[in-house]
Amino acid sequence: MKQGLQNCGKCGLCLSACPVYGILKEEQVSPRAKLQLIKSHDNKSLESTQGLKEIVSRCLMCGSCAAACPAGIDHYSKFMEMRKQMVADHGESPAIKSMIYLLGREYRLKFGTGLAKTGQKMIPDALARSFKLGNIPIKNFPTLNPKPFRTQQEVIVPAAGDPVGSVIYFTGCATNYLYEDAGKATIGVLQHMGYQVIIPEKQCCCSVPMLFHGAQDQAMSNIRANIEALDPGDVEAIIVDCSTCGEALENEYPKLMEQGDDHAAATQIASKVTHIFSFVNDHMDLLTFDTAGDNPSTVTYHAPCHTRNNSQGHLAVESILKQLPNTDYRPSPDRDQCCGGGGTFFYEHPQVAGEMMAQKLTSVRNMEVDYWVTDCPVCRLNLAGNLEPQDTMQVVHPITFLYNALKA
Amino acid sequence: MLSTQLKNQLIEIVGDQGVLDQPEQLACYAYDAFIEEALPDVVVFPKSTADVSQILKAASKAGVPVTGRGAGTSVCGAPVPVRQGIVMGFSKMDKIIEVNTRDRYVVVQPGVVNADIQRALAPFGFFYPPDPGSMNTSTIGGNIALNAGGPRCLKYGVTVDYVLGLEVVLASGEIIRFGSKNVKDVTGYKLSSLFCGSEGTLGIITEAILKVMPKPEAVRTLMVTFGDLDSTAKAVTDIIGSGIIPAAMELMDQMTLNAIEDAAGLGLDRKAAGSLLIEIDGVAEACDKQLKQIVEKVNENGAIKIEEAATDIERERLWTARRSAYGVFAKIAPDILSEDVTVPVSQVPEMIRTINDIGERYDLTIGVLAHAGDGNMHPMIAADRSDKAQWEKVERAFTEIFQAAVRLGGTLSGEHGIGLAKSAFIPLVMNRETVSFMKKIKQAVDPGQILNPGKFV
Ligand SMILES: Cc1cc2nc3c(=O)[nH]c(=O)nc-3n(C[C@H](O)[C@H](O)[C@H](O)COP(=O)(O)OP(=O)(O)OC[C@H]3O[C@@H](n4cnc5c(N)ncnc54)[C@H](O)[C@@H]3O)c2cc1C
Ligand code: SF4
Ligand code: SF4
Repeated sequence: MKQGLQNCGKCGLCLSACPVYGILKEEQVSPRAKLQLIKSHDNKSLESTQGLKEIVSRCLMCGSCAAACPAGIDHYSKFMEMRKQMVADHGESPAIKSMIYLLGREYRLKFGTGLAKTGQKMIPDALARSFKLGNIPIKNFPTLNPKPFRTQQEVIVPAAGDPVGSVIYFTGCATNYLYEDAGKATIGVLQHMGYQVIIPEKQCCCSVPMLFHGAQDQAMSNIRANIEALDPGDVEAIIVDCSTCGEALENEYPKLMEQGDDHAAATQIASKVTHIFSFVNDHMDLLTFDTAGDNPSTVTYHAPCHTRNNSQGHLAVESILKQLPNTDYRPSPDRDQCCGGGGTFFYEHPQVAGEMMAQKLTSVRNMEVDYWVTDCPVCRLNLAGNLEPQDTMQVVHPITFLYNALKA
Repeated sequence: MLSTQLKNQLIEIVGDQGVLDQPEQLACYAYDAFIEEALPDVVVFPKSTADVSQILKAASKAGVPVTGRGAGTSVCGAPVPVRQGIVMGFSKMDKIIEVNTRDRYVVVQPGVVNADIQRALAPFGFFYPPDPGSMNTSTIGGNIALNAGGPRCLKYGVTVDYVLGLEVVLASGEIIRFGSKNVKDVTGYKLSSLFCGSEGTLGIITEAILKVMPKPEAVRTLMVTFGDLDSTAKAVTDIIGSGIIPAAMELMDQMTLNAIEDAAGLGLDRKAAGSLLIEIDGVAEACDKQLKQIVEKVNENGAIKIEEAATDIERERLWTARRSAYGVFAKIAPDILSEDVTVPVSQVPEMIRTINDIGERYDLTIGVLAHAGDGNMHPMIAADRSDKAQWEKVERAFTEIFQAAVRLGGTLSGEHGIGLAKSAFIPLVMNRETVSFMKKIKQAVDPGQILNPGKFV
């Protein structure tokens, strides 16, 4: 069971897990301090100020504190509630507000009559604009998918060869708007394994960006829409290629729906959510690889915080990379170090994010690899965005790397 | 309240980035892992010894208290600024200045985290022996000021045994340096001993020279379970009594073991009434021999199961779980009080029996965990401070535990320090003359009583 605030023994073990504390080295940004502040705010011994909001926002929502906490505190939910309170009290910056607005309206814009066409064009452009800041140079910002990924796909994609079952694919916004290669590879791998892939049309943003920015009310309509769209029936799994979406579907939805009549549906969905690599790892026998060639690609892996802390999917990624033919997997000494992406953290706190990134860049350069794979779109954007022209490694989702290794 | 003049002086010394004075910032420097809290007036982050010296000069002149703070993991309230004033944070003075394994020392700033020293030494095949359970967070300054120990201090000794030299800034702002880079040095008083355990009341540590050790060739780790706590404790006494000194020997009772198992899921035997986590290290052949002797001793005491960690990962998981014990306990109730009375190792069984008796008599949940090999007990009481009646019982129980320890030839604290938690009990272990001697030392170096006032001197 997750524990409440009063169970924090202030032992400080979470300080060593927190990437923001690691850089800033000031107690107030530590997870322990944030809990103390929330407690003081709740019992009215501390006023709500802009400064308090600022402290609470200096957080990647990476979940590493909760993963390290021996008292089992649910930092995630506490921070989310507090962020909501802070936004209610002090408002939100225009850029973040517009992002929330757009993601929150994504579903309605797309499916609302009349607005559909303009909606699809508007979202990516404006989204991109609100992100093209922070510690990432504008020229390094990825180009958008020419068309949103889901609009290019059939709702039901048949298995290649004899079908062994079917799965639902929740694509997330990043794959839909930015990284269609990851979407294509995910579908390709699942097809290759013999799965029929269902891509429900009415899925929309998982809502995490809104929940992180205290916009719970806006988030709710998306969440309800997703719960309806993802009705699992008898599919084997609901596949995610992004651990943040996965975490939301698996943990946040049931919690947020606790009181509502959607709770049973949310719980049922939660029980089927699976990280694409955990799924592949359980079905390795269904894959055949291209073993020709004698010039192995060198690859290393950046394990996103949400993958490590929520699904342990990083172990699956690493284990699979180690098994691939024609692949020279080089484990990175800072595989688990946060890159500072953290949703919109890199935009809100560029300096801190920049320092985290600098450490990662030094070590990846020393490793001399062709590929730097990572299964979180924000990490990917952040890693790739910080490379220099002379860096030759490619940053891709590991599913793309895996897909390319399959026998055609 | 701090005068504007002093605040401006502080800003002049460390820059406005280095000074915190907003309520939401100050609230984060009011606590450690103990239960008492007190808000400072201002927090400063010095960047150098010179900064520290100037800050202390200014504070001395204004008569404002200064309390040093490392990572705030103390469990006795030592860094809690009960008389307000300035909290001086060292988390940013965190450079490792020199690693010299040829001459077996490192030179560090006070804010360096213990585990970072271990990481810096590992590639050279060296380590820094003191290993408090908080080693991933706590700082060397805090370790020295509280003379921290840890599991492997059974064989290797505690912080004071590894401090070769210090740079300290006195309340007046004067900078003193003593000791050297030599493992042997008897030039004058052994002043490092004076500062180890001084809890920031005599001076502010700004640099330390620490002795380091080559890593032992072999390490073996055993987890042994027993049917009752008495035989667990007796096994400890027998092992130490027969002249074997393991690197570490940790005792856990059933409640602690279960709490750890809940959190870490290591597959520990939940039914075991007592268990020992034993580590030995040294030359491979010697380890084999010691292992055999230990197995003999635990078997004589009716060990149920003896398991050896097969890999480094397994060993690390056992220790991570052990280090989580304090936090895990926090789950059981809103407040947790952990003490660390220490008794001669032959008295460990008696002390454990006494603690359990006291727990039963007061109807309290007391978990027992101990660095058993050196008699350092960690009874932990999980309770709720808002329940007045229960809290009174907690306080009475601890008083009795202290008294019992002293009766058995023990002492108040083996490693956590006195802080706010135990200053009232000092007369149990020191006569008036001794306390007065400590006060004289304090008076001589800090006549204005500005360094961490309100603590044990
Ligand atoms: C989970 C957990 C496990 C623990 N395990 C152990 C253990 O096994 N063994 C053990 O001995 N302790 C243990 N402790 C207690 C604590 O971690 C240690 O006492 C540690 O040394 C405190 O270091 P810190 O950096 O957190 O210091 P703080 O708590 O910040 O400060 C401690 C004291 O040092 C003073 N101080 C800090 N920096 C300076 C400086 N530069 N100059 C002068 N004074 C200074 C402060 O004023 C204060 O009096 C544990 C605590 C926790 C929460
Ligand atoms: S690790 Fe958990 S119990 Fe310890 S200080 Fe952090 S939040 Fe509190
Ligand atoms: S979620 Fe991550 S960044 Fe935020 S407090 Fe926890 S560890 Fe730090």
